[in-house]
Amino acid sequence: MLEKIKNNFNTQTWVLIPIAIAINIAMGQIVLVLRLPVYLDSIGTVLVAALCGPWAGALTGALSNIIWGLAIDPNALPWWPVAFFIGYMAGRMAQWGFFKSWWKVVVTGFVVALTAAIVSTPIAVYLYGGITASGSSFITAYLLQTGQGIWEAVFSTNFLVEPVDKITTAMIAFAIVLGLPKRTIGGYPKPQQVEAEGGAGRTQMYIAVGVVVLLVLFAAFMLRNILGG
Amino acid sequence: MHERLSFHIKRDSALHRLNPLTKIFLVLALILVAFLNPWYWTPHLLVLIAITPLSLLARVGAEYFRAAARLILPAVGFLFLMQAFFQPVGEEILFQFYFLDVTRESLMFAFSNAMRIFVMVSAFTLFLLTTHPSELMSDLTRRGLPGQFSYVIISTLQILPQIQARAQTTIAAQRSRGLETEGHFIKRAGSLIPLVGPLVLGSLVEVEERAIAIEARGFTSKSLKTSLHDIPDSSIDKALRWALAVIAILSITLKLWLS
Repeated sequence: MLEKIKNNFNTQTWVLIPIAIAINIAMGQIVLVLRLPVYLDSIGTVLVAALCGPWAGALTGALSNIIWGLAIDPNALPWWPVAFFIGYMAGRMAQWGFFKSWWKVVVTGFVVALTAAIVSTPIAVYLYGGITASGSSFITAYLLQTGQGIWEAVFSTNFLVEPVDKITTAMIAFAIVLGLPKRTIGGYPKPQQVEAEGGAGRTQMYIAVGVVVLLVLFAAFMLRNILGG
Repeated sequence: MHERLSFHIKRDSALHRLNPLTKIFLVLALILVAFLNPWYWTPHLLVLIAITPLSLLARVGAEYFRAAARLILPAVGFLFLMQAFFQPVGEEILFQFYFLDVTRESLMFAFSNAMRIFVMVSAFTLFLLTTHPSELMSDLTRRGLPGQFSYVIISTLQILPQIQARAQTTIAAQRSRGLETEGHFIKRAGSLIPLVGPLVLGSLVEVEERAIAIEARGFTSKSLKTSLHDIPDSSIDKALRWALAVIAILSITLKLWLS
């Protein structure tokens, strides 16, 4: 166990982690400028998880939220377990070979989103009584008013919002890995995990983007159904 | 020298002189009591009788109130509003807004919850105001925390402002080349890659150089390192830590006993 954790960390990992945390936080700025309805605040975490392994990813995620919470927005602080499991799950998926082509990266993003939804539900319920400071709580509130139980309401909200965000995150992280020179990747602990295989071409990328667009439309449709009906 | 992200204010006070670990104990005890004590007014009372006097004792009162007003109150206030409106508890409706109603219970719940978060964040703020990050990390390293963790925390605080500045530069540079950051949703989403690419790839190029540089300075060396600064740890510190640990354990048992 300890050996498995240790092999995630070499000097390049330790140097990458602070940069990844800073990238996570700086992405917030870019998303704000572009006014996009996603957070994309775990690109750095997924990147570390893919290049170095699950434990390095988990550490990056947890530290990002803690530093973010202490320095920028206090409401980010209680969510560090979510970021921890995002990094851990992304690393596991990469270990199982799901970070090598576009469609596999979409699967990784979906699994990470599911993990995030599951982990954040008890935090939202116990710490905030279901209603957090995030805009998506509007949906939760509506579901609660329609008589749904608090656990179902919070989980359905998370499940509606997370996939689009996490799949986009995983895809951007994959695009970055494809853009990195081989020599740089070779210095990290797990270079074999991100070796692109057949499905890393342009066509596959367009199909993957198509899947995300469909998901956005589906989420919008569901939202309209919930709020309208 | 690059600007570093730090709240620390260099003053001489009883709180500044405490050992960093003691202050961590203090923060954790405050948070535990605020969250676990069953009495409704506990978090409110903690702000009045613990956190505010401590900030005055530490002679960082002005800075503390400024941070509270600028950073903590907006976040906590927003949380309060969200919960007061959206929490579907209670019968006694005070007023309605479309399908949302504010009840006495939801208002009370939102108030106590907001105060708990306020205690948590302001306790940390007070800690950051009175403790220099490198002082904290060297103390923890001396107590057995691996040096790599200290490196991660300290260099994140250094790198963060640099990368934020780089993000601003990238946005400005791509805009001046005609990249559209406003307009239709699809156009804005399409602008994501030209902004993320240069920011991330540019930052990642430095990794290898930095790794070689710190490796050359014995980063992974197993031998014991000596410290230039000596961080005091008096017997008062030790007594305080015991007292705070007892308070924390008491509040946990009280919570378990009552539930």
